[in-house]
Amino acid sequence: MIELKNVNKSYEINKNNIVNALQNINISIQEGELFVLKGASGSGKSTVLSLIAALSKPTSGEVIVDTKQISKLPDNFACEYRRDNIGFIFQKYNLIPTLSVSENILLPLVPLNLPAQEAQEKLQRVMKMFDISHKAEAIVKNLSGGEQQRVAIARANVNDPKIIIADEPTANLDERLSLSFIEILKELKALKKTIVIATHDPLFFNLDCVDREIELHKGNILS
Amino acid sequence: MRSKINLYLMEYALNALLREKYKSFFIMSIFTLLTFLLTSVFFITNSIKYELQSTVDTLPQIIVQKIKAGRHYDIDENVVDDILEIAGVDDAVARVWGYYYFENAGVNFSIVGIDAYERQYKKTFENIIEDFDFETLEQTPSMVVGRGVKEIMKQSYYDEYFNFIKPDGSLKRVDVAGVFDGQTQLESNDMIVMPKETLKEIFGMDEMQATDIVVKVKNPQEVSTVAAKIKLIYPDTRIITTQDLQISYQNIFDYKSGIFLALFVIAIFTFFIIIYDKASGLSSEEKREIGILKAIGWKIDDILKEKFYEAFILSFFAYILGVILALLYVYLFQAPILRDIFVGYSQLKTSFELPFIFDLHTLFLVFFLSVPIYVAAIIIPSWKVATLEADEVIR
Repeated sequence: MIELKNVNKSYEINKNNIVNALQNINISIQEGELFVLKGASGSGKSTVLSLIAALSKPTSGEVIVDTKQISKLPDNFACEYRRDNIGFIFQKYNLIPTLSVSENILLPLVPLNLPAQEAQEKLQRVMKMFDISHKAEAIVKNLSGGEQQRVAIARANVNDPKIIIADEPTANLDERLSLSFIEILKELKALKKTIVIATHDPLFFNLDCVDREIELHKGNILS
Repeated sequence: MRSKINLYLMEYALNALLREKYKSFFIMSIFTLLTFLLTSVFFITNSIKYELQSTVDTLPQIIVQKIKAGRHYDIDENVVDDILEIAGVDDAVARVWGYYYFENAGVNFSIVGIDAYERQYKKTFENIIEDFDFETLEQTPSMVVGRGVKEIMKQSYYDEYFNFIKPDGSLKRVDVAGVFDGQTQLESNDMIVMPKETLKEIFGMDEMQATDIVVKVKNPQEVSTVAAKIKLIYPDTRIITTQDLQISYQNIFDYKSGIFLALFVIAIFTFFIIIYDKASGLSSEEKREIGILKAIGWKIDDILKEKFYEAFILSFFAYILGVILALLYVYLFQAPILRDIFVGYSQLKTSFELPFIFDLHTLFLVFFLSVPIYVAAIIIPSWKVATLEADEVIR
C-alpha cells in the first residue's frame, strides 16, 4: 500500500547549514494497517508523514502509494492525489479559525463542485460519525481543543479517503480526550482505513489496535 | 449536470471578504473613491468638451476687429461693403456687442445687438427673430434675455425691465420681452439680445460704428485666404478665425485639466501604494490559509480562481459603486467643487448644466485602469505562495 524506499530528505537552512531530516529510510505499510511512528521531537516523524501525503518531495528515494510513485508527482497531481486518497489530521489542526465547523469540514469538497445534496450528505455523515453535529454552525476559534480536533478529523474524512495520517494527534489534548481519540481511531480502523500516526505519546505504545510501530531517531529508523 | 462555474468557490471568496470586513471595507472605500474621482473627471471633461465644441461650432468663421495701439476699437460699418467685394465671401455683418456689468449680482452680461433685416450669423438670433416681433422691440425698446440673466435679474427685482446706465450717466429703460434658449447653455446663460440701435445708445456708440465684423466664407477651405486678403486691405485690423478661437478655448481648457491632473496624480499615487502593499506579499495568516487549502487538496488553479473571485468581487463592486456615485455627482448634483476647476474659462460667471454624455469608452477606460490592476495585485503574490510546497507554508 505505502512504501518508502531509500528515502533521504534534507532541508537547506542556509548555504552552510543543511539538516538531514531523514536518512535512507525504508518503510512498508500494508492496507488497513494502523502504523505508529514513534520518536522524540525532531526525529523526522512529521517529515515521513509529509512525504506520504505528498506535501513535500524527498531529496532522493521513492515514495510509492498503491503502486504509484507519488514522490515525483507535479504539484497539481499531488494536490489531486491528496484530495482523493489522504485525510490529514495536523498537530495544530490547521483549521480556518474564522469559518464555522460545517464550512471547515466542507473545504476539501469545494474544488470538486459537487451537487449541493451530495456535499450535504457527506457533511452530515462525518459530523454524525465524529459527534460534532451539535456545533455545526459554531465558529471554530470558539471551540475547545477537543472539539477542534473532532472538526479536523471530520474534515480529514469528509471525502472518504483510504489513508488517514495524524501528526501528534494528542499533543494538545488531556488524557480523557486522548482516550476518546483512540476510540475514534478504532472506528476508522474498523472501516478498513490505512492509518499512519506520528506520536511520542506513550498512550499509543502497545495498544491492541496498533499493528506496527517503528521508532525514529535523528532521521534514522531505530527499531 | 454540474455548473462549469464553481459557485462554492465564489461563496468561499465572498465569505473570505466578509471575514475581513474592516480591511475589505477600507480597500473598497479607497477603490470606490478613486473610481469615483476618475469617472467624474471623465464625465465632466466629456460634457464640457461637448459644450465647448457646440459653442465653437456656432462661432463665425472670421471676425474682423479694428486695432489701435494694440487695443480693440469700434470699426466703421462701411468696411462691410469692401469685405463683400472680396471673392469667396458669402456674407459680412457688422456686430454690436459688449459686456454690461450688473453691479447687484457682481456679474458681467454679454449684450448683443441685432437687426431683423440683416442676415443673422447665429442660429440663436434667427430663432429670436422668428419668436419675437423685432419692430415692436425697437419701438418700446425691449430685449430678450437668456435664462441665467432672467434669474439673476429676478433676484434683484428686475422682472419686467431694467435701467441701463449710459456713458453720460443717464438711464435707459429696456423692457424684458421674453426669454430665449441658446444653442448651448454656456451661450444662453449670460446673454441679452436687443435691437442694434438700442444697444448703440446704451454703449454710446456712433450710428455708423460697430464692435466688429463677422464674415462668412462660401468654402471653409478658403477661410485663411480670405482672412489674409482682409488684412491686406485693412492693416489696422485683427483677423480672428474659428481655428484661432478653437485653439484658444482648448488651451484654457487644457490648463484647467492640468491643474486637476496634479490632484489626480496624488490619488493615483495613493492607489498604487495600496497595490504595492498588496503585491509585495501576503500576511502570515493569508499564507497559512493558502497552505492549508493546498494541504487538503486544493490545486493551484483552485486557489487562484478563489483569489480572482475575491479580488474581482471587491474591485468590480467598488467600480460599479464609483461609477454610480460619479453619475449622481456630475449629472444630478452638477459636480460641485470639481466643476469649478474646469469651468470659468472666461471672465463670466457661468452656471450652465453639464449635459449628459454617455461615453462607453470612458467606462471601459476607468475599468481597465482599476479592476485588472487590483486583481493582478492579489493574484500574483497568491500564486507565489501557492506554488511553494504546502509543507513549507504551513510548517
